[in-house]
Amino acid sequence: MKERTQVEIENNSHLLKEVSKELINSLKEQGVSEEVIFDVHVGFEEALRNAMIHGNKSRPDKKVRIEIEITVEEVIIVVEDEGEGFDPSGLPDPTVGENLLKESGRGVYLIKHLMDYVKYENGGRKVTMKKRI
Amino acid sequence: MQIDIKETNGVAVCNIKNDVDINSSPDVKKYFEQLTREKKEKILISFGAVNYVDSSGLATLVEVLKMMRSYGGKLKLSGLSDKVRGLFEITKLDKLFDIYLTEADALNSF
Repeated sequence: MKERTQVEIENNSHLLKEVSKELINSLKEQGVSEEVIFDVHVGFEEALRNAMIHGNKSRPDKKVRIEIEITVEEVIIVVEDEGEGFDPSGLPDPTVGENLLKESGRGVYLIKHLMDYVKYENGGRKVTMKKRI
Repeated sequence: MQIDIKETNGVAVCNIKNDVDINSSPDVKKYFEQLTREKKEKILISFGAVNYVDSSGLATLVEVLKMMRSYGGKLKLSGLSDKVRGLFEITKLDKLFDIYLTEADALNSF
C-alpha cells in the first residue's frame, strides 16, 4: 500500500482545512488509530499555518507546496513556503517562564513533540515530518 | 462558532461546541472579550464537545486567562479529551490553567 499526493495551494485557512480533511480521511481509510491521526492532524495544520502566516506572510501571490506520502509504516509530509525562511533553532522555548503567557511560538514546538521526525531545510522554508502509523 | 452559556452558582459556564482552531479562534476570542468586558468574575469553559484545538486555540485561551487575571477573575477548564489535554501538557499550559476532569468538579472548586 502506498499513496502519494502533491498539491500547491494558496494562502487560505479554508484551503488549509480542506487539505487537512483529505489527509485525515485517507488515514482513517487506512485504519490508522485516532491517537495517531490527532497528532498528524495537529502537526500538519501547524506546519501549514506557519507556512501561510509566518512564511508567506499571508500574501495572496505566494503559494504553499505540499507532498504527502502514506506507506504501510508511516506518513511522510513535506510543506514548503515561498517566504524568507527562519531559523527554527532560534525560537524561544514557549514552555519556559514568561513565554508561557505569550500568544505565539507553540506551533513549531507542537510539531516537534507530536511527530516522530522533523527536519527543516531550504533556510526553514521547507519542513519534512514523519509519523509512524 | 457555537458556545452555549449558562449561569450556575454565579459561574458563567461556557460550553464550546466546536473545534478551537485557526478558523474559529478569532470568534472565540471576541466572545470571551465581551464576557471579560462585563468583568465576569468566574468563568468555566467546558470542552466536552471539543475534539480539536490548535496553537491558535491555545493562544486564544491564554489571552482569555490574561484578560481575566487583569481584574482578578477566575478561569477554569473542564472536560478536555485526553488528546486535547495532551496539548496542554506538552506546552506546559496545564501548569497555567486550572483544569478539571468534569464540569461538576470545576464548579465545586470555585
